[in-house]
Amino acid sequence: MTPWLDCSPAALLLSLHVAGVVLVLFLVAGIALGYALSRPIPLRGLLDALVSVPLVFPPIAIGFFLLMLFGRHGAIGGPLHDWLGWELVFSFPALVLAAFIAGLPLVVKPIQSAIEGSARELIEVSYTLGKGRLATLFLVVIPVIRRHIAAGLILGVGRSFGEVGITLMLGGNILGSTETLSLAIYNQVLDGDFECATRLSLLLGLVSLTLFFWLGRLGRGR
Amino acid sequence: MNPLIADLAFSRPGFDLRLAIRTPATGITALIGPSGGGKTTLLRLLAGLERPQAGHIRHGERIWFDSARRIDLAPGRRRLGFLFQQAALFPHLSVAGNIAYGLPSGADREREVARWLARLQLAGFAARRPDSLSGGQRQRVALARALAPRPSVLLLDEPFSAVDPDLRQSLRLAFLELMLEQPTPTLLVTHDLDDVRQLADWVGVVIDGGLRQFGPMAEVFARPVDAEVARILGWPNLLQVDHWEGDVAHGGWGWVRVAARPEGPRAEVIAIRPDGLRLGDALGLEIEITRVIALADDRTLLGRLPDHTAIQIRLDSRTPTPRPGSRTRLGIPHAAIIPLPGRATDAAATHCNPCSL
Repeated sequence: MTPWLDCSPAALLLSLHVAGVVLVLFLVAGIALGYALSRPIPLRGLLDALVSVPLVFPPIAIGFFLLMLFGRHGAIGGPLHDWLGWELVFSFPALVLAAFIAGLPLVVKPIQSAIEGSARELIEVSYTLGKGRLATLFLVVIPVIRRHIAAGLILGVGRSFGEVGITLMLGGNILGSTETLSLAIYNQVLDGDFECATRLSLLLGLVSLTLFFWLGRLGRGR
Repeated sequence: MNPLIADLAFSRPGFDLRLAIRTPATGITALIGPSGGGKTTLLRLLAGLERPQAGHIRHGERIWFDSARRIDLAPGRRRLGFLFQQAALFPHLSVAGNIAYGLPSGADREREVARWLARLQLAGFAARRPDSLSGGQRQRVALARALAPRPSVLLLDEPFSAVDPDLRQSLRLAFLELMLEQPTPTLLVTHDLDDVRQLADWVGVVIDGGLRQFGPMAEVFARPVDAEVARILGWPNLLQVDHWEGDVAHGGWGWVRVAARPEGPRAEVIAIRPDGLRLGDALGLEIEITRVIALADDRTLLGRLPDHTAIQIRLDSRTPTPRPGSRTRLGIPHAAIIPLPGRATDAAATHCNPCSL
């Protein structure tokens, strides 16, 4: 019987590393986008649609479009490669980008709806009491919707942790380099190692259940 | 203290506001009118929470908004206090934290908060969270929070409507006491005529995004400009006029002579005060008494005219109380009648928009 830690330990560490980085990105971008989308800003509809795309669009197709965009000859990847000598695809930043795009709507939407709902009047009160947008964000919005922020982060990280489609396309599924936990399960099945695939699936399920349990506790604490 | 002067144009799908107003430099101005007429929108525009498409807002020498000069001060720079219908207290802050929110940090802050807590009988509640307070206490905290930074103008959006009726009176008194101690020009949006009668010095009637009438409270109540305003101000008796013969108004309910028929073709309604009417006048209108409401010394009759128009009569102390179901005649003195344009029952009256004050 294969010891537990022999089943792609690097994949687990890589997934945790990606999750840690996207957690920080979600915290900043999720709150900023949720706050921005709750207000009548120019091109709000377009921004909202872009953020929401991963909820309805097939991940593998999103991954393909991103590969075309960020590849060595893509509209963004080309200049990055030619001017900075930097290649995004098949690298750690590509995994982070894939996880970030996949989980972002699940972070932004709860924050946006909380601001549009319970926090809207409080924001206006804060404005009339002399506070600007930034002060209101830190003194009112974040404290009032902190449970929604936490819930969004848990959902987003959970989604990122199990991401396959975009990661496969953008990260390349390179063993020991861009093989995340979810891709490791896929690879173990392809190799016929069902024992390891089962263990990794249980591990991934355990992480998901932990996040789900945590989310439930947050909801009850409301 | 300075008057607040605004001339605004604002549109959103299905609603247009075109309104000019100059509120007095002191006292409380009540804005009253049907729901959806633009009262709250006007407050939000004045506060800077919504942006007008055109116009200007000026408080004394300070320009808050001027579309032509591209001036649009943020709400916080207008130095105003805004009290929302629901108290909208910050749930993560204590009572003291809520009151302190708009105050500048410094040594005086705590002293000022303590003073406001004492002023509004909230001294024992400083550390409490808003969710542990009653509706009346929450509204007191919101009032203290709005007034503590000493705003130059106070805007109140139905501040007592979310409070139980038995608490409203004590809140009104608390508010009046605060206004005596710290006079602040105030705009009060309300649907409650008791708020208007007990608090307001001035009244503006806002209908369909325009200011239909504005003036001193007693004058507006006594002389509504049309039937719709009369209905909003609680005039109970509005009789539709079919035609005029000189100074005599005719309708399905009978006829009455007015002191002087107003000029122009628009006097289609006569408004009749419920006081000073004479029962048993042989030349009066036929009336059937449908109900007698006797509350202590106050006796009000509900009756029906020949065309089934309802009419309300307040009896004086000398007139005997008629029985429900009895028929009599009702004498209406000239002084009790005001001819008005508009329709007696239809809310869609004609109006000026905007009104010049």
